[in-house]
Amino acid sequence: MNDLSAADIRGQVERFLPRVLKPSRYLGTEWNAIHKDWEQTKVKMAFAFPDVYEVGMSHLGLRILYHLVNSYEDFLCERVFAPWVDMEEKMREHKIPLFALESYRPLQDFDVIGFTLQYEMSFSNILNMLDLAGIPWRAKDRAPEHPWIIAGGPCAYNPEPLAPFIDFFMIGEAEETLPQLLKLIQEQKENPVSREEFLLKVAQVEGAYVPEFYEVSYKEDGRIQEIKADPRVPQTIKKAIVRDIESSYFPTNPIVPYMEIIHDRMMLEVMRGCSRGCRFCQAGMLYRPVRERSPETLLRHAEELVKSTGYEEISLTSLSTGDYSCIQPVIRGILDKYSKDKVSVSLPSLRLDSFDVKLAEEVQKVKKTGLTFAPEAGTQRLRDVINKGVTEEDLYSTAEAVFKAGWSSIKLYFMIGLPTETQEDLDGIVAMAKKVVELGMGAGRKNVNVTVSTSSFVPKSHTPFQWEPQEGKASLEQKQKYLREKLRDRRIKYNYHDVETSFLEAVFAKGDRRLADALELAVQKGCKFDGWHEHLKYDTWLECIAQVGLDPHFYANRAMDYDDILPWDHIESGVSKRFLIHEHHKALKEARTLDCRYADCTGCGICPERGLKIDLKG
Amino acid sequence: MSTLRVRIAYTKMEEAKYIAHLDLTKVFERALRRAGVRLAYSEGFNPHPKLAFGSALAVGVEGAQEYLDIELEQEIELDELLGRLQEQLPAGIRIIEGRQITSAAKALMAVLNSASYQVRANLSLPLKDEKLQESIAAWLAREHVPYLRYSKKGKVEKDIRPWVKELSGKIQGEEAVFEIEVEMGNQGSVRPEEIVASLCDMGNLPLDLEHLRIKRTGIYVSYNGQKLSPLDEASGK
Repeated sequence: MNDLSAADIRGQVERFLPRVLKPSRYLGTEWNAIHKDWEQTKVKMAFAFPDVYEVGMSHLGLRILYHLVNSYEDFLCERVFAPWVDMEEKMREHKIPLFALESYRPLQDFDVIGFTLQYEMSFSNILNMLDLAGIPWRAKDRAPEHPWIIAGGPCAYNPEPLAPFIDFFMIGEAEETLPQLLKLIQEQKENPVSREEFLLKVAQVEGAYVPEFYEVSYKEDGRIQEIKADPRVPQTIKKAIVRDIESSYFPTNPIVPYMEIIHDRMMLEVMRGCSRGCRFCQAGMLYRPVRERSPETLLRHAEELVKSTGYEEISLTSLSTGDYSCIQPVIRGILDKYSKDKVSVSLPSLRLDSFDVKLAEEVQKVKKTGLTFAPEAGTQRLRDVINKGVTEEDLYSTAEAVFKAGWSSIKLYFMIGLPTETQEDLDGIVAMAKKVVELGMGAGRKNVNVTVSTSSFVPKSHTPFQWEPQEGKASLEQKQKYLREKLRDRRIKYNYHDVETSFLEAVFAKGDRRLADALELAVQKGCKFDGWHEHLKYDTWLECIAQVGLDPHFYANRAMDYDDILPWDHIESGVSKRFLIHEHHKALKEARTLDCRYADCTGCGICPERGLKIDLKG
Repeated sequence: MSTLRVRIAYTKMEEAKYIAHLDLTKVFERALRRAGVRLAYSEGFNPHPKLAFGSALAVGVEGAQEYLDIELEQEIELDELLGRLQEQLPAGIRIIEGRQITSAAKALMAVLNSASYQVRANLSLPLKDEKLQESIAAWLAREHVPYLRYSKKGKVEKDIRPWVKELSGKIQGEEAVFEIEVEMGNQGSVRPEEIVASLCDMGNLPLDLEHLRIKRTGIYVSYNGQKLSPLDEASGK
């Protein structure tokens, strides 16, 4: 299966490409794609996104790392995505191994395959992609001629369910450490040492986690007894972090696909990190401290991006762009320069309290789109529990202003199943939605349209809620049913996430190494694209977890003790466990913790621990 | 503001044949922006670029001579415009020619009424040229050719013969090469693969229909027995 050359693969694929869905997913020749000379580079990396093209291509991390690696003379980086099911079927039928898009070479030809872990529900696609590539799943079954299989991204902060499959993980921001690791791989190619010796060198790099050097033992009741590190490697792995975001690498020549992707626009990364401190939010804990880019740098990026991509829209991205201290001058600067070229600006993830209607009007001058707000919970009490610093007055005054400014549709995001949630909180969601409709009517909007979306709370590692259980499936479904009935109104549309998906997400988010066996079995039984509702084989998943002797509720629905050794305890985000416990206590007391950008240091630990400080430009 | 309206003939060959028609607007809009050329946009809530194509080309079908009208919000020499645009277009999209057209010129969609195709099919068994010519002649001699089309609504029988103006074919090594000319209109048209499939079926020809290579060789404005290219039509030649 692996003897096919790139030209063979190309020729064969060409025969069926006209008959698969969206063939431009598989071309590899999009605008700005980089085709390096294979023979002239020393280390060949395939950046693997375990989901379909249009999802993967929307991801900023891929854009950054792809161009970063290619900026080194000795390295090349190509892309590979999970082929959509119709393409996979054709590839298996014709015995075509998974190939990288730029060269059409089989993955087996690469030195390293780097998977990005954005979402627990994409884990099955990783194994399926390795299978399509003809590469053994478990690290112990791979030989020196196989590529190194590495992984990073937010889900690498609890990497344990993937531990047996991955040679090493990269925890944290990889811009500085990935080139160091590729250099090690280059040395290993030139002067090979034993696998163990090589991995020992890897383990010394900031953020690198080699799971085979850490042994996990369990108590009889299933909890962890001990995570024992080999004495030659660090006992805990500290995340890698970019200290100077201002001068850090940012590509201004991203690939422009030939088809519509999810985020089909230029992305300007205005800052990293968020210190709002929402207690359910993993990203808010993982990417601390807040580091902003200056308006000058961003306007330069914007200029280069417009020139190199020709995109019609530029999005200011970050975890909470409304909080960026120089947002006004940046938006002004872009609009002044480009509105005549019909380039519009968009702001994702707006927050009510940082939202300024004037800003929105400014942004929407070129093109009007809907506005989205995330109150997350229906009552002030519950918003205090989760530390979401938004009041009802914020929402209502903003909504009113928005309607008066001419918008007629608003989207509201909430979570259900949050710790301490009661009936009153559900009724709060209904009341808010209805009040927003009323405000719209009051402002003279005839076709008011409010979309309410609820997701089910999934406790995530490294957050103050990591010890919390997920609410049971039946009761979450009951809550969805209740909201569906209460929100029956022609001006309100209610969307909700599938509970089965949220349950499996919780199992893996809080899971340990033993789940790897279940994952392997599930992929053998055809599980893939689990995040796509039409492909989720829920019953198969439950069978596989049971078959390897595990109980999914043990992971998803059990309240953990502060004394428990958590599966991810050897991975350090820089936010201390002491702080997380303190925050959990405060949550249960309905007490707020303020953002350290505008109030005192909260003592989360990241700055003193790593010799950093928050970096604001405004 | 003075505007400039230009009709462009271009190819959509090789990999570019996989770009879906709906995505082609963005491909040209972005190429023009990269080229620093300012397109005209419609007024209103959601401004659209003034960029109009002739007839859509199915994904996977090559186009040797496709057409596009663009309207610019700036004055620019035609040659400079075409040169700058060409530099920013993906491989496979090559500008053949461009001409300025008057603001009164009718839209491409409204004037195009016939198209020519080349279809290449692999022979799954040897086939004599005689047999091929016989089958084509028999096919053309029929007044009606019913063809079953499968759609979301189920099976629909359609008479495809009236749409076909010309059909010829020859054997070239391991493949059969067909040249086809069809009418296009408001009532739709016939797809070249349908003609070849029907011919194959009626003449019992050993053709591999799974891997046809289809190229649209031209689109025309035909009337009174005259066949004009859209460029000539708009510039009054």
